Amino acid sequence: MKNFYDVVIVGGGIIGCSVAFELAKRGRKDVLVIEREYLTSGATGRCGAGIRQQWGSVLNATLAVESTHIFENLEEYTGYDRSCGLNQGGYLLVAYTEKEWAQFQKNLQVQHSVGVDSYAVDLDGIKEIVPHINTEGMLGACFCAKDGHADPFHCTYAYARGAQRMGVDIETYTTVTGFGVENGRISAVETSKGTVKANVVINCTGGYAAQMAALVGDELPITPERHQILITEPVAHIMNPMVMSLHRHFYVQQTPHGSVIMGIGDPTEPVSHNIRSSWQYLEHNAWLVTQTLPAFRSLRVVRQWGGSYDMSPDRNPIINEAADARGFISVAGFSGHGFMVAPRTAILLANHLTGQEDSLDIQRFSVERYETGALLLEPSVV
Amino acid sequence: MTSKDNEIMICRCEDVTKADILQCIADGYHTLDEIKRVTRAGMGPCQGRTCRQLIAAELAKHYGVSMEDVLMTTFRPPVKPISLGALADAYETRKDWSLE
Amino acid sequence: MKTVEILVIGGGPAGLCAALSASALGAKVLIAERDEMPGGQLVKQTHKFFGSEKQHAGERGIHIGQMLLENAQAEPNIELWTSSCVLSIYEDGVVTIEHAGQHVKVKPERIIIATGAAEKFLGFPGNDLPGIYGAGAVQTLMNVDGVKPAQRVLMVGAGNIGLIVSYQLKQAGVEVEAVIEGSSKIGGYLVHASKIQRAGIPVLIKHTILEAYGDGQVEGAVIAQIDECWQPIAGTERKIACDTICLAVGLSPLTELAWQAGCEVAFIRELSGHVPIVNECLESTVPGIYCAGDVSGIEEASAAMVEGRLAGLCAAVSLSYGGAAAQTLIDDAKQELDELRAGSMGIHIREGLEKMALKSGQPKSEDDTLKSKSFAEIKSTLISDGIATADDIAAILPTPERFAKGPIAIAECFQEIPCNPCVKACKAGAITMPGDINDVPVVNGALCNGCGLCISLCPGLAIVVVDQTYSEDMAIVRLPYEYVPLPVVGTLATGLDREGNALGQFEVKKVTSGGKKNMTYTISLVVPKALAMDVRGVSVV
Repeated sequence: MKNFYDVVIVGGGIIGCSVAFELAKRGRKDVLVIEREYLTSGATGRCGAGIRQQWGSVLNATLAVESTHIFENLEEYTGYDRSCGLNQGGYLLVAYTEKEWAQFQKNLQVQHSVGVDSYAVDLDGIKEIVPHINTEGMLGACFCAKDGHADPFHCTYAYARGAQRMGVDIETYTTVTGFGVENGRISAVETSKGTVKANVVINCTGGYAAQMAALVGDELPITPERHQILITEPVAHIMNPMVMSLHRHFYVQQTPHGSVIMGIGDPTEPVSHNIRSSWQYLEHNAWLVTQTLPAFRSLRVVRQWGGSYDMSPDRNPIINEAADARGFISVAGFSGHGFMVAPRTAILLANHLTGQEDSLDIQRFSVERYETGALLLEPSVV
Repeated sequence: MTSKDNEIMICRCEDVTKADILQCIADGYHTLDEIKRVTRAGMGPCQGRTCRQLIAAELAKHYGVSMEDVLMTTFRPPVKPISLGALADAYETRKDWSLE
Repeated sequence: MKTVEILVIGGGPAGLCAALSASALGAKVLIAERDEMPGGQLVKQTHKFFGSEKQHAGERGIHIGQMLLENAQAEPNIELWTSSCVLSIYEDGVVTIEHAGQHVKVKPERIIIATGAAEKFLGFPGNDLPGIYGAGAVQTLMNVDGVKPAQRVLMVGAGNIGLIVSYQLKQAGVEVEAVIEGSSKIGGYLVHASKIQRAGIPVLIKHTILEAYGDGQVEGAVIAQIDECWQPIAGTERKIACDTICLAVGLSPLTELAWQAGCEVAFIRELSGHVPIVNECLESTVPGIYCAGDVSGIEEASAAMVEGRLAGLCAAVSLSYGGAAAQTLIDDAKQELDELRAGSMGIHIREGLEKMALKSGQPKSEDDTLKSKSFAEIKSTLISDGIATADDIAAILPTPERFAKGPIAIAECFQEIPCNPCVKACKAGAITMPGDINDVPVVNGALCNGCGLCISLCPGLAIVVVDQTYSEDMAIVRLPYEYVPLPVVGTLATGLDREGNALGQFEVKKVTSGGKKNMTYTISLVVPKALAMDVRGVSVV
C-alpha cells in the first residue's frame, strides 16, 4: 500500500472489484481497493448470486441484460483462469395472485423492449420446465432461459485479479476509520494501516455505505437489512431454473455443483447490521419452498447463513457524489440485486470517471431523485 | 508442489487435494476463508471438521506463521445436515404467518 | 418450545457425569446424545481405566459407561434423549436438536457443551483409498458392531489410542504389522506399548507413512524413517503389506457449537487445537455456557469425567442449587483434576491450561512445587520402544534373598502416570506410592506375599508374580492374559519375551479368572529359573 492513490475504493465486494477493474481498463490504474476482511466477505460472498433479466423497469432490465452479456464471458473478459461458474438455467418467476400475473404481462413488454428473451407459460408449461413443481395456487409463470446463477466468489476474484494485473493494489484486512476533506474535496482515507491520500474515493460498502458517507458529512438513505439463505447437500441434477415467487418471497435454485440454494425475504425484518442466522428463518424457508417443491423435502440442509441487503427507498442503486466532499462517490443501495447488475454499473461509473460517453445517464441514480420524485420504481423485487 | 500432491486428499467431502490448496496459495490466496470459497474445501456436509486444520497447517507452513495466527472460518449452523422436510414440519406446528 | 434448566450436549463420560452431579444437587437436566447408545467413547473402551478409585480406575471403560448410564436412567431429574443430535445454538439462546426425526427447539437456562472430539486426518498420497480409517472408527466397528475390520493393519501413531486399538485388534485376531510414530518418543502410556510389544507388534518411532498404495483399496503402505526435521531419510523406505491403515494421529476438540454460541475460542497446541476459553468453573466467555471434557482440551476419559462433574456442579450452583455443601464437592473435583494432571504425562495439559488461564484473564498461580518438580526421566530405550531394558529391570529386581523366600510381585511400571489400582489391590500393603497417584509403584518385598491379586487389577498389565522356589530348576511366572482362546491347564503354551519372541513351550499350571467384570485371567507358567525374568507373555495360537 502506497501513501497516495488516484482512486481509493472502499469495499472488496463485486461492486468495488468490478469498478477497480473497469477504471484500470480505462487507464485509471493508480487504484487501491481496501477491504475490511477478505474479498467477498460482505454481502457478495453471502448472496444467492442469481442473474435475472426479467425486470419491470427499463433501467433495471437494461443493466441486467448488459451485465449478463459480460457474465457470459467474464473469464475471458478479465483473464481469469478458473471458472466463474455461470449456469444459465433460466429463471421461472411464478405468479400466485391476479395482480402479480397482470404485472408480469406488463413486465414482459418492458423486457422485450430491451431485448430480453422472456415469455409467459401456463401451468402445463411450468410443469415442462420443472416437472416436480406443485402448481397449486399458481396462475402462470414467466421464464427467461438466459437468466441464471454464477459463483459470486470467482466472479469477484476474476475482477480483482484482472484489476491487479493492470496495477491495482488490493489491501485486505484493513479498516477504514475516517476520511480527510480539504476545501470541499475528499483528500485522504484514514485506515487501520495508516492514512492514504486520494483524489477520488468510491464508497462500495453496501449496508455500511450510509455510515461511511456520514464520515464525510453525506447523508445516504441506505439501510442494512438481514436476508438469510441456506444450502443443501449436493444431489443429482433435478432442476434447471431458479424458481422464484415475488408474492411468497422465496427463490430456490440448484447449482451446477448439485446443492440447492434458497432464500426468503421477511417483510418484518428490522433495520440492522445483525446478519446472524435464526432457526425461525430455517424452518420458514424450508416450509415455503417445500410447499412449492415437495420433492425437496428429503434434501438435507448443510449450512445456513445471513447477509445484508443495502436497501434504498426505491429499492434501486444510488450512485452519488457527496455535496460537501467532492470526489467522494457512493455506489450502493442495490437492495438485493447488486451482484447481477455489477458489471454494467461498474462500466457506467468508470465511464463517468474517465470522461467517456455512456448510453445510460448516471445522474438518474443520484439521491436527488428522492427530492425530485424521479424515483427508479421497480415492481419486481423479492 | 510434488507430483503426488494431487493424490493427497485434503477435503474428502468436496474432493479437494493438496495440489488444489497449494495452487490457491501460489495464486495469492492467504486465508482459510478465501481458499474455502475458491476450492469449496470445507463446504461439504462435515463443514471442514477434518480439512480445516490440514489447510491451516499448509497456510502456517507457507507463510511462516504459527497455527495460532491462522484465522479460522466461521462455523455455520447446523453442525449436522437436517432435512427440509423435518424443518418444514416444525414450521407447520408453530405457523405464525401463512402463504397469503 | 421446550424449556429446561440445564441442557447437557453429549452423553459421553463428561456429559453423563455433568448430568449426574447437577441433578444430584436438584437441577433438572436434559441430556442430548447424538448416538443411539449413550456413553460416548466409553462404549468401545474394553480396556481398563487408569487414574484413581474416584475415577473408577481398574474398571473397563464399557463398564464405567454402563454404570454412568444406569445411574442417569435411575435419576428422576435427568431426561435422556438418544439419537438426538444438537444442531445449533442460536443467538436467542435457543438450541435446536434433531430428535426422533423432528426439529426440536429447546430453551435451556444453562448449557454444558460436552461434545468430545473427532479424529484428526493426515495428508499423504493415497489417503482416500478405501481401507484407511481413523483408529477410533476401527475400534467402533470391532468393539461396538462386532465386525472384524481387517486382516492386516498398519497403525499410524503411538499415542494411547494407537497403542490401545492395536492391542484390541490383536485381541480380535487381526494382525498388526507395526505401529509407527513420527516422534522420537512413544506418546502414549509405556505400559500399553509394552503390552503390544509382548504381543509381537513392533513400535517404530521416527517413522512416517509416505503413501498408501493399492488398486481400488489399500494393499499396503510405504513407510520411512524421518530425520530431526521430520523429513523422510532417503533409502529407508520400505513397503508394509496391509489391507487397512489406521490413523491415530490425535484428536481435535469438537468446538463448532461453542463457536456458534459466540464463545471465545483460541488455538492452544497443548490442548490439541482450537478450544473454548473457560474459567476455573469451566464456564466459557458466554455466561451460562460451560464446556467439559475433550471439547475444551484433549485428555484422558478419567479427566473428562471429573470435568463433567465439575461443570455440572458449577452450573447447578449458578441456578442456586446445592447450598454450602456444593462448594466442598466443587473443591474436591478441582483437586482430583489437579491430581490427575500432576504427573509427567500432565505437563502438556498444565501448560495448556496455564495459557488458557492467561487468556481468560484469570492467571492461575500454578503450584510452585509442581512447577519445579522434576519427573523421573526415562533414560533407556524403553521410552522409544516400550521394551524394558536390562538396566530398567535391574532397578526393580528383588534380591536373591527375597526370591529365595517365595513368590513376589514385580511391577514393570516405570513411567509416572496417574494410576494406583495396584496400591488398592494389595491387601498386604506391600505396594505403595511415595507421593501421589502419579508416582511409580514400589513393591516392598518384606510385605509382599506373592498372592498375585495385583496382576489382574493393574490396568497396564504390567505386574507379574515370579516364584523362584517352585522346584530346583523351575520357577513359576504368573502373567495377566486377555486373549482367546484361554490356555488349558496341563497343556503347553508358548512363553514370550518382552518383544514377543517365543522362548519355549511351557506347562500351564493354573488359569485363574479375574472375575466376570475384571475379565483379565492370570496364567501360571512353569518356566526354567533362568527365564523367569524374561517370560512376560503367553500365547496359545
